[in-house]
Amino acid sequence: MTRSTQRIIAAILGLIFLVTGALKVLDPAGFAIDIQNYRLLPWTCDVLGALYLPWVEILCGGAFLFKIAYRGALTISALLLAAFIIAYGSTRPRGLDIACGCFGHGIHHGYWSHLSLDTLLLIIVIYLLKADLRPLSPVLHGNGPREETPRP
Amino acid sequence: MRLALRQVIAILLLALLPAIATGLWHPRRPAWQSDEVTLSAASAWGHDILWIDARPDADFARAHIPGAVSLNEDRWDDLLPAVLDHWNTTSKKIVVYCSSLSCQASHDVARRLREEADLPNVFVLQGGWEAWLKRNPPPP
Repeated sequence: MTRSTQRIIAAILGLIFLVTGALKVLDPAGFAIDIQNYRLLPWTCDVLGALYLPWVEILCGGAFLFKIAYRGALTISALLLAAFIIAYGSTRPRGLDIACGCFGHGIHHGYWSHLSLDTLLLIIVIYLLKADLRPLSPVLHGNGPREETPRP
Repeated sequence: MRLALRQVIAILLLALLPAIATGLWHPRRPAWQSDEVTLSAASAWGHDILWIDARPDADFARAHIPGAVSLNEDRWDDLLPAVLDHWNTTSKKIVVYCSSLSCQASHDVARRLREEADLPNVFVLQGGWEAWLKRNPPPP
């Protein structure tokens, strides 16, 4: 995959993070209830998460879009997505049927579709992170060994 | 790796500022005190409770907590006057419940009662109707 394709994927990912973060910022009280519904943390932690996480998401979205602090944003996103998949994945075995809270308060698309979408996002983020850590290909970027030009 | 770590710390620190501002000034910021009460805590209030059933009409018709009033978001405008009448005459604490621990309706109804009807002392029953049934099983 070329660098420009990676840039396009990162930009789309950035837009998704910006929109989902903004939806949560609009209604932090609703997002706190969404987190509370996971029944994993005390209410104070739910509130802190509802105030803080949407802004992390928005900053990561901006970082993807403008490629500023890109690697850091990818690392945070990978960790957040992994944590979310584990937390949301645990709800059904614990007998909970809740809205995931990822796309704004109370929006419920179903357990498996949410898990699939977030797993797909995690795979994309990990791919972009690996691509960013990989050194540039010398042939593609013109840094390879130069051909000897015959001397006159 | 060190670069990624520096960037992670920068993003996490930068997000603190708007998060603090949200906590201080956002019109829809969450309360620091949870609005959920357990059935034992609510029972300790004795008869000073107005139970509100936030489940759909059919569920309410099938069975509900004795004395509960129905108020769901589908028929909010139709049902709200009856709730206000009950509350005006009793001035009780309001406890909203829906079907189970994971249902959303009780939280949404409780929030609308606070924000739109301006009612104080509105709580949500933890575990909802399921918790009530566990404590008060129907006669065989």
